Amino acid sequence: MSPSSSHPPNALLASVFSLLVPGAGQLYLRKRARGLAVLAGVLVLAYLINWADTNFKIEATVNWLWFVFVLFWLWNVFDAYRLARGQTTLNRLGLLLAIVIVYVIGWQVTDINPDRLVTRFKDVQVVFRALVYPDLFTQAGGSWQPSENFGDIIGKIVDRPAPDLLVQLGLAQKGATVPTPVLGKMAETIAIGLMATVLAIIFAIPLSFFAAHNIMSHVPGGTFIYYAMRTFLNIVRSVDTIIWGLIIVVWVGLGSFAGTLALTIHSIAALGKLYSEEVEHIDPGPIEAITATGANLLQIIRYAVIPQIVPPFLAYTLLRWDINMRMATVVGFVAGGGIGFFVVETIRKGGYEQYAAALWAVAIVIILVDYVSAKWRERILAGEVKVSAEAPKPFYTSLRALFWLALGLAVFILCWQLAEIDLRKLFEPAPTFVKVVRDFVAIDVSPDVLDTVLKQMLITIFQALLATTLGGLVAVPFSFLAARNLMGGNALSLVLYYLARGVLNVLRSIEALLYVAIFVFWVGIGPFAGMLALAITTFALIGKLFSEAIENIDPGPLEAIAATGANALQMIVYAILPQIIPPFISYLIYQWDINIRIATIVGFAGGGGVGLLLNTYFGMLQYHKAGTVVAMIVVVVAAMDLASAKIRERMV
Amino acid sequence: MLKVENLTKVYPNGTVALREVGFEVQDGEFLAVIGLSGSGKSTLMRCINRLIEPTSGRIIWDDTDLTALSPAEMRKMRRQIGMVFQQFNLVKRTSVMTNVLSGRLGYVSPYQSLFNYFSPADHARALRNLERLGLRDKAYVRADSLSGGQQQRVGIARALMQEPKLILADEPVASLDPVLSHSILKYLEQMNKEDGITVLCSLHFLDLVHRYSTRAIGLKEGRIVFQGLPQEIDDAQFKTIFGQEAERVTIL
Ligand SMILES: Nc1ncnc2c1ncn2[C@@H]1O[C@H](COP(=O)(O)OP(=O)(O)OP(=O)(O)O)[C@@H](O)[C@H]1O
Ligand SMILES: [Mg+2]
Repeated sequence: MSPSSSHPPNALLASVFSLLVPGAGQLYLRKRARGLAVLAGVLVLAYLINWADTNFKIEATVNWLWFVFVLFWLWNVFDAYRLARGQTTLNRLGLLLAIVIVYVIGWQVTDINPDRLVTRFKDVQVVFRALVYPDLFTQAGGSWQPSENFGDIIGKIVDRPAPDLLVQLGLAQKGATVPTPVLGKMAETIAIGLMATVLAIIFAIPLSFFAAHNIMSHVPGGTFIYYAMRTFLNIVRSVDTIIWGLIIVVWVGLGSFAGTLALTIHSIAALGKLYSEEVEHIDPGPIEAITATGANLLQIIRYAVIPQIVPPFLAYTLLRWDINMRMATVVGFVAGGGIGFFVVETIRKGGYEQYAAALWAVAIVIILVDYVSAKWRERILAGEVKVSAEAPKPFYTSLRALFWLALGLAVFILCWQLAEIDLRKLFEPAPTFVKVVRDFVAIDVSPDVLDTVLKQMLITIFQALLATTLGGLVAVPFSFLAARNLMGGNALSLVLYYLARGVLNVLRSIEALLYVAIFVFWVGIGPFAGMLALAITTFALIGKLFSEAIENIDPGPLEAIAATGANALQMIVYAILPQIIPPFISYLIYQWDINIRIATIVGFAGGGGVGLLLNTYFGMLQYHKAGTVVAMIVVVVAAMDLASAKIRERMV
Repeated sequence: MLKVENLTKVYPNGTVALREVGFEVQDGEFLAVIGLSGSGKSTLMRCINRLIEPTSGRIIWDDTDLTALSPAEMRKMRRQIGMVFQQFNLVKRTSVMTNVLSGRLGYVSPYQSLFNYFSPADHARALRNLERLGLRDKAYVRADSLSGGQQQRVGIARALMQEPKLILADEPVASLDPVLSHSILKYLEQMNKEDGITVLCSLHFLDLVHRYSTRAIGLKEGRIVFQGLPQEIDDAQFKTIFGQEAERVTIL
């Protein structure tokens, strides 16, 4: 506060204001954002403590919580006082008090029981043993053979009656049996992910042109279409694939087709948005140049537009394919089909060795997909430069191209069958479908339903918060092991590096929903199990991002600090931490955002939270209430998206 | 012969970029167009091949009124008018060869060209043009791996594929350093002298105008304020075109 100001702020007055109404003193001092934030903080904390007190048995801690709350209130008074005197404020203290309250409540409501991790460890050893010895091979007569479970997951060869074609060709006799390959659940999963991607491309490309501003501004009425299309894509995208799965099942019935459709719908929206942004970035120069040569519209598109959009479209599609393959492993939980459905069934039967085998199969496939997709994208974006001085042979005459074309076609047909795609089903939905949709849209807003949904939603948010914290905490030390620039020193550290990377990659390849079963067995059904499953994926993802952030450290400041004669600890504090803490925090916030989305579905596997509620309502055919849950999820996820983007924006 | 009469261009937002512009260009001339940034040089160039539709006025090219042509007829006519751009406007991710061949699009069968098919004669022509611009060995590299000067030469090769009678060059050297500027303008001069192609070229530097053009016009706020031989641009003329504060600078 400058001494020349005509009304020197009265510190006592400010303190009294803040004592009566938190934030009022700060507002009086014209710190609007600060005052409102303090007021909002007090209100939210009070609500949360009261909510936890009425909904959960927390007699033991509730008084302590109110005590900390009072401290927070007093801090706010103190803050106003120091602010008025122009002294530095103690932001961190206030933040700390608020965080303590939030975490203690989170701990209580997500039902965290660390002792169970210990007391029931003996029981869960069964699962760990299964993970080490998954049911893939059996020893029969001294030699290892694929087990029956291997056949279910990967595929097997069975004797089937010879198909007519072979009989007619004279290759088999009528009525004879021939060995026929039958593909397993993993192949089905791959087919679902692949078909969803292909179908999504077909729809997303035309839609993306309607969502591109530079194109629609040339069309009469285009601006309206543009905004309508953008809004539509954003809404569809904000509903998770799993929730789309629930809705689609009502339409076309349980099975691979439902899973494929759910993935397709979500992918169309996601790809449509990315494509349209790419269309908006087209360079108009080449279009002008090709027009000037006297080319017609088709030629302009072929020579000036397509070469510009194909590489980025391909890159986005490959990225989406990767995501779709991951989602295909879990969409079966609700929609049927794929390895997700298989996992649900084996767990119900208590077949942990089969479950373990499925996890390994998923890990291998996803790691491969991840690798192929990343390498391919890298090549596209780098754009390999050909240097041969000879004209390349035309594409269509080369035999290799023909081979790939035929192979692609064969894979497409095979996947079409494996994913059980049946377009007729789309036009003959279950007779109840219209009624279900009507119920679903007319959401139930009666107070007790809202109360229940809100309760589970808060639990979900806390689950995500705790999982992010736990996963992040474990990831910090681990990420140093997985950073190449720190671990290149000697053979031992190199081994540790590859080990750490390997662990992160394997853990990252499996979706949280698939982990839930382990923790349900370990700590019981409920939010705790879901939280732990989320923490595992968080650890894997954050660990990778953290280690990359460490690898990207600029050595310049290190050198500069070393040159001042600093020791190792001083170098860490002054040269390394300032470089890695901002990206770490940014990743953590981003991860919390992602985790809230995933936390809304871990309930489908027994992980508690809002997903459990949704599953129950759908199971009991209470579509009004299910609609409430979905609406709440859409709103919360959108709000979190916005908040996390805003916070991260301010940080960089 | 190119004759521009009373050409006016008003953009949809109300900007008047050209006001009643009129001039003539004889076959075989190298006409420089000079003027400050925003004086309407690019607009004028693009009105001539109707990449931008003129608001009023006429453009007569060899007794044909270009402004009266239907879009299909205009496309045919564009084959005779090559264009070279300040930003080169190559399709960056495709090969140099494809970029050069695309100059042929107005001549070839539209359906074949959709499959990237060009006749062996066109391929040979493309290689000849690249050879002429000293880029034969770069034919099959990606366009964006070339330097700026090389990219502009590809741009010229693409224009040559049209077998044009007229080349419109819109500040072809404004993105290049002085040495490369001379090399590019020498190529344009060569096309002008050896092939008899008429060249309309907008330029920023008076030196370049003196050195390469046979005649010049000066634009200011969309009006023609000078027409004559390059040597006639004295200090007074210079100040009318570029404003009182302008100083003459020389490059190399
Ligand atoms: N698409 C457009 N819409 C509206 N106004 C435009 C448009 N293009 C150009 N203008 C305006 O028309 C006038 C002439 O522009 P033009 O690009 O022809 O000038 P120029 O002499 O080529 O300038 P420069 O040397 O910067 O390229 C400028 O005032 C410019 O702002
Ligand atoms: Mg210009």
